[in-house]
Amino acid sequence: MRHIVITLAILAGLSGSAFAETIKTTVNGMVCAFCATGIEKTFRKQPEVESVHVDLPKKLVTVKTKPGKTLPDSKIKEIVTYSGYTMGRIVREK
Amino acid sequence: MKTTTLFLAICKAVAIGVICAIALFTPPNAQAKPLSYVGGTMAMQENDETGHTLSLDYTFDPHFALGLYSKYEINGNEFYMAGPQLNTLLKRWNLPDGQGNIFSMTGGGAARQGNHSQPAAWLSFLADYETRRWYFSYEPRVVYAGDIEKSFWQRAYAGFAPYLANYDELNTWLLVKVDHHPAKNDHFVVTPVIRFFYKTIWLEAGYSSNNHVMVNWTVQF
Repeated sequence: MRHIVITLAILAGLSGSAFAETIKTTVNGMVCAFCATGIEKTFRKQPEVESVHVDLPKKLVTVKTKPGKTLPDSKIKEIVTYSGYTMGRIVREK
Repeated sequence: MKTTTLFLAICKAVAIGVICAIALFTPPNAQAKPLSYVGGTMAMQENDETGHTLSLDYTFDPHFALGLYSKYEINGNEFYMAGPQLNTLLKRWNLPDGQGNIFSMTGGGAARQGNHSQPAAWLSFLADYETRRWYFSYEPRVVYAGDIEKSFWQRAYAGFAPYLANYDELNTWLLVKVDHHPAKNDHFVVTPVIRFFYKTIWLEAGYSSNNHVMVNWTVQF
């Protein structure tokens, strides 16, 4: 029984580090679909990124990373700025 | 004397354009911008009462796009003009609910009329402001092509989105375009325009006050 508990704890620890991350950032200036394409395409080019979703009414970009991968705030800011926009608040969810 | 007269005419035309833009379109989206995303290519074609324009631009920096511009002018003076063009984002304001920009488009090449060719240069500025609901733009333009063409022209757009579409939905805009060509027969041309865009494909159509069909499209890839 003790071995089972230890094994489950190890597996849980390993899988925890392999969780995908959901990163949400608001983007100032992202007011039209034509403009948002640049942000979406630039995020999609990143090897850490699994999927990108743009919500225009909320000016929100949601990025889901691949399991075990992350994107630091500095990289997100670089992508948003490089796309021609200004980054707002970042919220991360595991 | 001739230069002074031309300068005064340009000043007067600019003043009229600014006053008209302000008076007609009191502020609070959507002429295609001359820059796309870095690494993006944009093909644009315009057909209106002034002629047929085709351009292809590659955005290599957040502030610069380089491309080829060509136009077959039919408005009074028929000629063909083509050459490389540099589009520059001079200033951008990213606001929580809107965006404002000032761009410049500078090009040079050759103009041809019949068997006669001349070096040509053109310069225009585009100032725009857009929210998800409203769009305003103003663009003055100067073209110099020796004895083939010397002209000043300005254009303003104002419009609104009747419904607010999301990113993956069809966006529709209703706009009014006003062109002012001081040297042409029809100084002012007003065109009601309907515009659609879906992600990277953009199409607009209208019918001008001097009875010309306008069809423009832009594709980013």
